Amino acid sequence: MTLSRRSFLEYCGLSAAIIGLSSSKLGFLAEALAAPNAPSVIWLHGSSCTGDSISLLNRIADAFPTSVADVLTGAVNLVFHGTLMTPAGDAAVSELKRVYDSGNYVLVLEGGVPTAFHGGPCIVYSLNGVETTYMQAVQDMSAKALSIVCAGTCSSFGGIPASGSNPTRVRSIHELTGRTTINISGCPANPDWVIWAIVQLLTATPVTLDADGRPTALYATRLSGATTPALVHDKCPRNNLVNVNAPPEATSFTNCDGRCTMQLGCRGPFTKSRCDGQWNTTATDPNNPPNMRWRNNWCIGVNANCIGCVEKTFPGPQSFYEPYVV
Amino acid sequence: MPILLAAIDPVTRIEGHLKVDIEVDTVGGVQQVTGVRTCGTLFRGFEKVLEGRDPRDAPLITSRICGVCPTSHAQAAVLALESASGRGVPGPARILRNLVHGACYLESHLLHFYLLSLPDYIQGLGMPPWTPGFEMDRRVDKATSDLLTAHYLEAIGMRRRCHEIGALFGGKLPHTSSFIAGGFTAVPSQPNLDAFATGLDEILNFINTRYLPDVERLSSIYSDYFFIGRGYGNLLSYGVFELDNTNMTKLVKAGRIVNGAGAVQPVNAAAITEDVTHSWYRDADNNLNPSVGESNAEYPKSEAYSWLKSPRYSGVPYECGPLARMWVNGDYTNGISAMDRIRARAYEALKIATAMKSWHSQILAGDSTYNEDWLTPQSATTMGLTEAPRGALGHWLQIADGKIARYQVITPTCWTISPADGANQPGPLEQALFGTPVANVSHPVEALRVIHSVDPCLDCATHVMYARDAQTR
Repeated sequence: MTLSRRSFLEYCGLSAAIIGLSSSKLGFLAEALAAPNAPSVIWLHGSSCTGDSISLLNRIADAFPTSVADVLTGAVNLVFHGTLMTPAGDAAVSELKRVYDSGNYVLVLEGGVPTAFHGGPCIVYSLNGVETTYMQAVQDMSAKALSIVCAGTCSSFGGIPASGSNPTRVRSIHELTGRTTINISGCPANPDWVIWAIVQLLTATPVTLDADGRPTALYATRLSGATTPALVHDKCPRNNLVNVNAPPEATSFTNCDGRCTMQLGCRGPFTKSRCDGQWNTTATDPNNPPNMRWRNNWCIGVNANCIGCVEKTFPGPQSFYEPYVV
Repeated sequence: MPILLAAIDPVTRIEGHLKVDIEVDTVGGVQQVTGVRTCGTLFRGFEKVLEGRDPRDAPLITSRICGVCPTSHAQAAVLALESASGRGVPGPARILRNLVHGACYLESHLLHFYLLSLPDYIQGLGMPPWTPGFEMDRRVDKATSDLLTAHYLEAIGMRRRCHEIGALFGGKLPHTSSFIAGGFTAVPSQPNLDAFATGLDEILNFINTRYLPDVERLSSIYSDYFFIGRGYGNLLSYGVFELDNTNMTKLVKAGRIVNGAGAVQPVNAAAITEDVTHSWYRDADNNLNPSVGESNAEYPKSEAYSWLKSPRYSGVPYECGPLARMWVNGDYTNGISAMDRIRARAYEALKIATAMKSWHSQILAGDSTYNEDWLTPQSATTMGLTEAPRGALGHWLQIADGKIARYQVITPTCWTISPADGANQPGPLEQALFGTPVANVSHPVEALRVIHSVDPCLDCATHVMYARDAQTR
């Protein structure tokens, strides 16, 4: 059951072509993971719904490691994760403190930061009997971290909790700290993309970010490379400029099956993401090529609107069910 | 012997943020919990986000309250909107909602037993995030422990499988966009129906050959937990999984049980109030029904120790969740305790998975799933009651001029992990923790077992305040 380092490297080899990891980097990964001082991963929750952690558990890679169990037992030294870890209370916090003091960690943050009441709406732990807010923990831990990954739209951009007039005044990690964060936005974050980011960091691979701090490899291009369109609509099989056989646009949810729902509020024309075929694989036909196997598993695949959940502007005040206006 | 104090902060293997303060003393020769405070340490302020939005946005926005039970929030929201509109949905839409919601129940129950609860009893894997473990009574022999650890790893994949079959019709999970007012976006296709059936059979097989036997193994080794963590014995269910288009007949019925005995009592939402005596909200908003609830955050506040309010039914605390549902429905009568909660949850997984098989057989490829006469109400006061995996979930809202004017949510964890109320009645989990034996106050694993038996979800619980004008300077 336990994944060996070797099979983890095989995974990275398989995906190297996809994610642009050079063979020299693979060699470095082997070295990095074997090193006794390989960085640990600290995953902290703020004002979150835990959806990004639940999504992480849905890791769907087609090659090893196929599940998060493989990742945790074979690849990533996850020293703190509130949902998964066995220790609680002092035992958990002292482990966290030990790794924090070492400075040798990648910090993954899930959930935005409530800044009202001096951070009081979110207490993450007590240390020596003193409560620590998420706001304080983020300030402290981001200062020493090797790098920071924001898992999900809330930590990346504020997301739904930062919209409207939420009295807790939620802010993104970047807004709070001013630091560079690698934003794996999405509501929830796609599990493969989160693991991808962590692997890049463990191998010290430079990650090119777009203006919103998102890796261009994940949001502005497709798996196959940089030449295909970034916008969801520009690669959607329901768009008849993409697929001449696409039926006419839907005008109601009564006739939406298989049709473009732009008139019903789909934000695909305004959303940069490679969501197409990236969610909850069911591997219904293992004979299909990997990129076809989970073709139906995305919001649009079930006639639902793309709601633009990876974007900095999400959710915005506009209705999800009226044509989107920039 | 002096009274010992311990703070468990954070309580891990939950969703959200929870601190539990316990006071331990020796009574009758047994060192045990003699005082307790459960402190919800996360306030999300979600309801204000909904004000002024299109009412149809409510299922999508409220889903984001919880990454473990997003479909329960979506379901409560569509039920509320459809009740206000007076328009129902086609049968296949009702069934697809039940199938996706049911898949999320199965995911949540497997997640709870294997990932969140089991590490309270076995050593687990010798690496982070499972180390360092607890100093505790290790009663599980090595062979059984190895077996359970192997099943733990299998369960990670099997709970993912639950989301995969849900995503066949939901598009992606967690957080599907398929629940819409007036119906459901997906139209079933034969390949998706077939894939769903295959996956559901795999999950049913796992429940029968792993989950239930593992729960029985654990409950025989730790049989003393049938006598620990009882609490009040007050059990509440709103009912869930509509079986016909009137929404009146449900797989899981609504009802109440008082002190673990007697006939099932009806549920009337008008009897629900929220006490804020020990919550960080102004006392002026005390004991209001959620349909008119007001909450003005006040932090700090001298008597308060939690961001959760204290929902009460006719002034009485109730716990909710699988044990409450199974008991109210006559499906489980063994007892009320930490271990009974774990067992009832497992048998409920079997009940729901079995029902899902029959629902699946009631729909056909190409069935219509949207009410073409749907009209979004422009003005309404309405509510939607359902059950999340963790228990009773209610949404109360008002619509004015076609926009959401106010929104109020009471989640299951708010019922179960509420602080003490103005009559000094402890919350249900607090009550359940009293008398729990604690061998080593530095490693109070016995208390954690009781805490985990109710499956806390603080993400859900603490957004529930409608914190009007709570900006601080």
